[in-house]
Amino acid sequence: MAADFLRVEQLTVAFGGIFALKDVSLSIDEGRTTAILGPNGAGKTTLFNAISGAVRPTAGKIRFLGEDVSTKSPSSRCHSGIARTFQITQPFGSLSVIENVMVALATKGASMAEARREAATYVEFVGLSAKAEDPARVLSTGQRKRLELARALATHPRLLLLDEVTGGVDRPSIPELLSLIRRLREERRITIVVVEHNMEVLLDLADDAVFLNRGEVVVTGGMQEVAGHEAVRSIYLGDIDAAA
Amino acid sequence: MLEVFGGHPYRAILVWTLMLLVVPFLPLDDYVLHILTLFLIFAVFATGWNLTLGILGLKTLGHHAFFAIGAYASALVSHYFGISPWITIWLGAIIAAIAGIVIGFPILRIRSMPHVAIVTLAFAEIVRLVLSNLKEITRGELGFWGIPPFDPISIGGTTIQFGLGNAFGSFAVAAVMFVGVHLLLLMLLKSRSGLTFLAIRDGEAAAESLGVKLAAWKLFAFGVSAAIVGLSGAVYAHYVLILTPSSVAGPDMLISLLAMIIVGGVGRFFGPIYGALLLTVSSELLRDFGDYRMLLYGALIVVFVFVAPTGIAGLKPASWRKPRESASQPAEAT
Ligand SMILES: Nc1ncnc2c1ncn2[C@@H]1O[C@H](COP(=O)(O)OP(=O)(O)OP(=O)(O)O)[C@@H](O)[C@H]1O
Ligand SMILES: [Mg+2]
Repeated sequence: MAADFLRVEQLTVAFGGIFALKDVSLSIDEGRTTAILGPNGAGKTTLFNAISGAVRPTAGKIRFLGEDVSTKSPSSRCHSGIARTFQITQPFGSLSVIENVMVALATKGASMAEARREAATYVEFVGLSAKAEDPARVLSTGQRKRLELARALATHPRLLLLDEVTGGVDRPSIPELLSLIRRLREERRITIVVVEHNMEVLLDLADDAVFLNRGEVVVTGGMQEVAGHEAVRSIYLGDIDAAA
Repeated sequence: MLEVFGGHPYRAILVWTLMLLVVPFLPLDDYVLHILTLFLIFAVFATGWNLTLGILGLKTLGHHAFFAIGAYASALVSHYFGISPWITIWLGAIIAAIAGIVIGFPILRIRSMPHVAIVTLAFAEIVRLVLSNLKEITRGELGFWGIPPFDPISIGGTTIQFGLGNAFGSFAVAAVMFVGVHLLLLMLLKSRSGLTFLAIRDGEAAAESLGVKLAAWKLFAFGVSAAIVGLSGAVYAHYVLILTPSSVAGPDMLISLLAMIIVGGVGRFFGPIYGALLLTVSSELLRDFGDYRMLLYGALIVVFVFVAPTGIAGLKPASWRKPRESASQPAEAT
C-alpha cells in the first residue's frame, strides 16, 4: 500500500531547450519524511511544481494514491490532498494573516465564521497569533514562511511539499519550526517532502532522501546513506562535517 | 480585506443612504438633480467595472461594452415590444452578464495582462461597430430615440413621474439602484467570494494551490461585474432617452470611467464612488471646454497612477497600518 502513495514516473519537464527535470522516477512512502537534495538549479522546485500541478510535465506521469493526476489542475490536486509552500513566498498581501489562511478553508465551503475559527488554530500553530490581524504584506521573510505553512495546513493535506521553509528564518527560531514540522508527521500523519539546504536540519528531519543534479536523480535511499554519498558530500561537505 | 473596504463599510453605505434621502428636501434645481443622477448611474457603472479591474485584478478595459449592451437591450426591447422598463432593465443586466461570461472564457486562457486589455478593448469596439451597423434596429449613429421612460408608480397617495421634466423621479431610481447595488455587492464581497477574488488578485498560483478553482471564480466575477454595469446602462437609457453607439460604447466613455476608477481608487470598494462624484461634477463645470475634457481626464489618470496610485480612497489614513516590524536577522540561505 505504502508504495502507492506518490509515484513520479519518468518525469521530464523542459522549458524551451532547458531540461529542468530529465526522466525522473521516484516514489514516496506514506508517513515518512523525504528530503530532496541538490545544488541550485537542480530542479527541486520544478519537481514540486510538477507534483502540485503548477507546471505541466513534458513527459511522464505523477500518481497520487494510485490515481494519475498528471493532467489535473493545481486546485483539484489540492482537494485530493497535495499541499505545497512556495520557496519565493506568495502571501496575499492585502489580506490579513488570518484571512490568508481562511482562503483555503472558505474555498472548501466553510462559512466565514467557521473558516476564521479554524484558521486561528493554524495561525497559532505556526506562532503568528500576534500578527493575525496584520496585513500579510508587512510580514518579515521568516514570518511569511510560517504563513505559507499555515495556509498549506489549512488545506488538510496528506502530502505536504515544503520548499525551503527555513530559508530567511532567523536562526534562533529554526529549531522551533523544525519541531512543528515533526509534530505534523507525528500528530497529523502528514507525509512530508522537504527541500532544504541545511544538512543539519535534514539529518534531523528526514528518513529518506533523493539527490538531484541537473534535473536527474543521482542517488536515492535512506537519509544517512545519501548524505554519505560522495556526490552529496562534495556539495554539502562543510555541513556534513559540522553535523557529524 | 480592511484595506479594500475601510473600517466600517456598512456604516459608510448608511451614511450615503442618509445623504441621498436628504437631497429631495434641499432646495436644489433640476439641473443639480440631473448631475446627481448621472453621478449615481456612473458610480454604479464604475463600481461594477472595479470588480474585475480592481478587486479581481484583471486589466479589463472593455466594460463600456456591457454598459452599451445593457442600455440597448433594455431600450430596444421596451421600445419594440412595449414591455415596461421596470422589467427590461433586468433583461439588460442579464444579457450583459451573459456577454460578460462569454467574453470571460477566452480571458481565462490569457496570462498576460496587456493581452487581456487588448482583447477586452477589441470586444468593446466590436460591440460598438455592431450597434452602429444594425441600422434597421438601432438607427446607428443617428441615435436611437423613442426610448420609453420608466412608468409612473404611485406610493400611497402620490404618484412619481419619470422622464423629461421629472428630475426627482429619475434621481430616486438612480439612488435606489446605487444603494441596492452597493449594499448587495458589499455583502457578496465581505463573504468568501470577496476573500477569494482578492486572493486571486494577490497571488493566482498560490490561490490555486490552496484549492481555489480559478476558472469558476473568474467567470462568476465577470458575470456579476457585467450585470452591474449592464443594469447601470439600462437605467441610463431610460433616463437620457436617446442612445448612440459612440456615446455609450466609445472611447470617451472608456476614458471617463477609467479616470473615475483610477482617481477614486482602483480595488477600493468605495473608490469608484468618489471618482464618479468628482469627475461627474467637474465635467459639468468644464462643459465649455468640450473635447479638452478628455485631455484633462487623460492627464488626471497619468497623475494619479504616478502620484497616488491608491486614489482618493487610499489617501485616508489607514488606521490599521502599523510601522513595519524590523525583521530579525535572517539565516543565510545558501
Ligand atoms: N518557469 C521557468 N521557465 C524557464 N526556466 C525555468 C523555469 N523554472 C525553472 N527553470 C529552470 O529550471 C532549472 C531548475 O530550476 P529549479 O527552480 O527547479 O531549481 P532548484 O533546484 O529549485 O534551485 P534552487 O536551489 O535555486 O531553488 C533552472 O535552470 C531554472 O532556471
Ligand atoms: Mg528551488
